[in-house]
Amino acid sequence: MKTKYMNPYLAGVLLGLVLLMAFFFSGRGLGASGAVKSVVVTAVDIVAPGHTANSDYYGKYVGEGKSPMKSWLVFEMIGVMVGGFLSGALSGRLKWRVEHFPGITANRRLVFAAAGGILFGFGSQLGRGCTSGSALTGMASLSVAGFVSMMAIFGTAFALAYLLRKNWI
Amino acid sequence: MTIRNIIFLGLILLGIVIAMVPENTTKPYKLTAEEMLVEVQGAAEMVSADDVAHWVISKDPSLQLIDVRSPDEFQTYHLEGAINIPLSVILKDEYQDMLDQGIKMNVLYSNGTINSHQAWMILRQLGFENNYVMQGGLNYWFDTIMNPQEPSVYSADEEFAKYDFRKAASSALGGGGAVALSAPAKTKADKPKIIRKKKKKAPAGGC
Amino acid sequence: MGPLVPQEIIGADWNLFIAFVIGIGFGFVLEQAGFSSSRKLAGLFYGYDTVVLKVFFTGAITAMLGLLFFSLFGWIDLSLIYVNPTFIWSAITGGVIMGAGFIIGGFCPGTSVCAAAIGKIDAMVFIGGILLGIFFFAEGFSFMKDFYMAGAYGPLKVSDFFGISGGVMALLVIIAALVMFKLGELAEKKWPREEY
Repeated sequence: MKTKYMNPYLAGVLLGLVLLMAFFFSGRGLGASGAVKSVVVTAVDIVAPGHTANSDYYGKYVGEGKSPMKSWLVFEMIGVMVGGFLSGALSGRLKWRVEHFPGITANRRLVFAAAGGILFGFGSQLGRGCTSGSALTGMASLSVAGFVSMMAIFGTAFALAYLLRKNWI
Repeated sequence: MTIRNIIFLGLILLGIVIAMVPENTTKPYKLTAEEMLVEVQGAAEMVSADDVAHWVISKDPSLQLIDVRSPDEFQTYHLEGAINIPLSVILKDEYQDMLDQGIKMNVLYSNGTINSHQAWMILRQLGFENNYVMQGGLNYWFDTIMNPQEPSVYSADEEFAKYDFRKAASSALGGGGAVALSAPAKTKADKPKIIRKKKKKAPAGGC
Repeated sequence: MGPLVPQEIIGADWNLFIAFVIGIGFGFVLEQAGFSSSRKLAGLFYGYDTVVLKVFFTGAITAMLGLLFFSLFGWIDLSLIYVNPTFIWSAITGGVIMGAGFIIGGFCPGTSVCAAAIGKIDAMVFIGGILLGIFFFAEGFSFMKDFYMAGAYGPLKVSDFFGISGGVMALLVIIAALVMFKLGELAEKKWPREEY
């Protein structure tokens, strides 16, 4: 099969080295959902400061001298945008489009993307991290939580694949 | 050989190697040999028995005496308020909080100063602050503090002041020379400054 | 020696800059591997494209081996490395919800940001969904707090859980991964599909 992408195993090794550098420099792994959480906390804090201060959840991230946007993950995710853009530019993949299986409409794809995003956002907070923050990083540091997350995420996706086959194949 | 096969082979070989070697459980030393040499030459880790006696009598709350001898020896005799952390188990995790801290001044002692110094060297190389060694150890403590010898008549005034203090200290600590507590001797040197420990950051991370 | 920032060998001011640089590497590799395409990501669950499996596991294993070897050489102090704590019930439930989100939405948070960076509108909508999902969780947190904190085991490692060394654990993971890679390649042959 001819592919326009990098050899997956080579990409995996490079991904592992990036993760290893994160451990070596900052003592922590990669993440993604944490940055989105910072955005949510900041937005809610601007709209309703009293609400965040009193909340069990937001309260951890706001208050004197704390700024949720000045976090490691936020800067890392800004880097991801830059890196993704550079790679797309290099490989000629920059294009505005809704990517979807030809058998479904673009609108259907967008509705499902939104629904999936909501579930993923919710689950990432409950599970203390997403595929990168909990599963990938957790596995590299041999954390039980990492292996459990990985199996739960991929296991569920496989289990539901048949129900959603019309969207993809 | 394709990239795929090279990577497969590399992973499996590295995996076999890492599975066969023992895990590195040594605690990394924080100070280099050169830094240690400077510290040892400065002898700043030594505190005199007189000072220790003074702090014990004045019940200095920041003093923590640590007896590095065996539990048996500790049972037989130990200084007032001392706790026992034998040299052989000094690296156990349960003692880490006591030895690596920024609130108290730990004074290590053994019979002589060899064991206490050995303990201090290890702790210092691990980067722990605020640990000191009692000069002369318990032997010296008995000779000078508990049974002070009167200086010869030709000695300097300073020697007599020391003697007076020791006699007084000895009586306060239940030793031989019973004499009324006299002047608050001027032997008290400046107490070593307690170095505040940098808060050890718990590794942060996660989403 | 390492980790450099927690040991203050590099000043904490540099940490955010390092995060940015590492992020660039992360985003670049994800995009080059094809993680910016939801159809490629979802391919794993239908067997026509198992790139997720290959990249994800090779990455985790490489970093795992790296940490173990760095520790062996005394280059990194593993006690200063963040190990995410295990809260078993929330980890399983959260994982199940994320798995559903994955097959429905076709992305995970990291890949969606990467895909949005090259102009995928479905990825941007997915990110909007994540924002909402996190908002819902935050608002409902007080009801879920007990469940969120239940089954706490702290920063437990699988190697300690099974009572084996980290190295043996890594070897077992590698063997399992190589078997899965082989299965993935067979699946790709069985259900071939043009790449988009």
